[in-house]
Amino acid sequence: MNENPQNSVSPKTIEQVYQPVTRRTFLKGTAAAMAGLAGLVAALKPLLALERGEMTLDDLLQKHYRELKPEELQRILRELEARCAREHGVQPVIRDLKPLPGVEFGYALNLTRCIGCRKCAHACLQENNQSRSSADDIEMSYIRVLELKKGAINLEESDLYYNPQTVPQKDKYYMPVQCHQCREAPCTKVCPVQATWQEADGIVVVDYNWCIGCRYCMAACPYDARRFNYRKPNLQSARINPNQSYLSNRIRPKGVVEKCTFCLHRTRDGKYPACLEVCPTGARVFGNLLDPDSEISYILKNKRVYILKEDVGTLPRFYYFFDQ
Amino acid sequence: MVASAALLGGLLVCLALLARAQGQDPAGAGAPPAPAALAATAGASPQLPLVARPPAEQPPVGLPGDAHLDKTPPRRTKGLDLVRMGWTYNCMECHKLIPARWHYDRPMAEHQDIRLEHGNNRFCLNCHHPTNRNAFVDYDGSEIAQRDVVLLCGKCHGPTYRDWEAGVHGRANGYWDTQKGPKTKLRCIQCHDPHQPAFKPMPPLPPLRYPPRAAHGRSRIERPEDNHP
Repeated sequence: MNENPQNSVSPKTIEQVYQPVTRRTFLKGTAAAMAGLAGLVAALKPLLALERGEMTLDDLLQKHYRELKPEELQRILRELEARCAREHGVQPVIRDLKPLPGVEFGYALNLTRCIGCRKCAHACLQENNQSRSSADDIEMSYIRVLELKKGAINLEESDLYYNPQTVPQKDKYYMPVQCHQCREAPCTKVCPVQATWQEADGIVVVDYNWCIGCRYCMAACPYDARRFNYRKPNLQSARINPNQSYLSNRIRPKGVVEKCTFCLHRTRDGKYPACLEVCPTGARVFGNLLDPDSEISYILKNKRVYILKEDVGTLPRFYYFFDQ
Repeated sequence: MVASAALLGGLLVCLALLARAQGQDPAGAGAPPAPAALAATAGASPQLPLVARPPAEQPPVGLPGDAHLDKTPPRRTKGLDLVRMGWTYNCMECHKLIPARWHYDRPMAEHQDIRLEHGNNRFCLNCHHPTNRNAFVDYDGSEIAQRDVVLLCGKCHGPTYRDWEAGVHGRANGYWDTQKGPKTKLRCIQCHDPHQPAFKPMPPLPPLRYPPRAAHGRSRIERPEDNHP
């Protein structure tokens, strides 16, 4: 009977079987344990904020916005109002406005009429309570006005910091870029915690209390429409807009991403967004896409419409158009 | 006839200059008198025909609740020079005496601040009514009231008028949902000077300090706060 070599057990040394602790394995094990301990400390770090009173147990245990019961949400809104009054000395009214039935918002911008005066970008700061008080702080306007050379739409040669004596300059045109509220929004797909989503009226919103600040959505956005709060917002109390809502312009905490919401605290009230209110040339058109008689429907029916980065397939609700 | 009209016109200008001199004497400063001051000194200068200023017939800019937003009107109206001298808004106070002329080949002595740069439209009476100078004129010679100035401009600017009617030309304020509140559309002459309708260049607001992710490319200005984390 032949012995099958597969079945034979090769002899092992005693060190191979018992693996005694050597200097090398000891150091490896210690390093792994230290790394694990550091991870544990990092994971428990929010509890330190709890200890210092910077956040309450309710904040820590708050559920996702869409899972909150109405009474829980009301309690959170009152808590946010009280915190704003405590920290900034302004008593705001923070509401939770739901999407209107039968409404899908659309925005159109007339590239023939825009003169690049930047009033929209500054109105955005004032409306949405963005950091702007100190000179070394960033101003997180959701609108970037690009200056482009006439003859082509070449974003790579655009200038964000143009500052001539007067605008519009000859042989230049101006293209304000903000969130396009895409139907196929890549930012909502990459969020690992579903802190950003699209509402029924098409507006992509962020639950600032649920966002973990990973900034995947900023990497995914083809329009650079999202902003990250690198520090606590630095706001003068005289310049705080008290008309706030949970999903839009309430004062954001540090370390979360924010974005243009078409001023949903205004538009879900029937008003125009702030950027449209201040536009001196009337280059901006806003309305309900589902209403065939609305202004935005008139644009889509009668004007030459251009979609920025149409090839990336995001299907924006923001359109550019021309008069001539 | 023409000579007498010119004489009358010269007389009126003299009167206006006299009125200005009188207005400056008590004030002492070079500034023209404010309407309120004029009303107060109405007894002192009885030769000035004072007629109440017509009420503003144009919609306001912006919502009253939006104190934090910019409500600068697109065009700052300064009023006609004769009106600033103390004459009235009732154009017919003078023009019942001065007949209309089709064309002026020199700057007018009576309206020195008016320079007509309206493209091919070079005649006063293309827009102004020949016999009622408080109104505008339609194709058939009928009158268009001042508040309906949009109809006047629509005579030539048809596509723009159509867009304005649809609400997509010109500055709009208020409510997109007209069931919740009013939507205001500014009239043509609230943004465009009818005599020089091209939109004037304006100084831009300063560039913003964007976070580094949005400040793409080589065009960013070098500032210390750009070293943000």
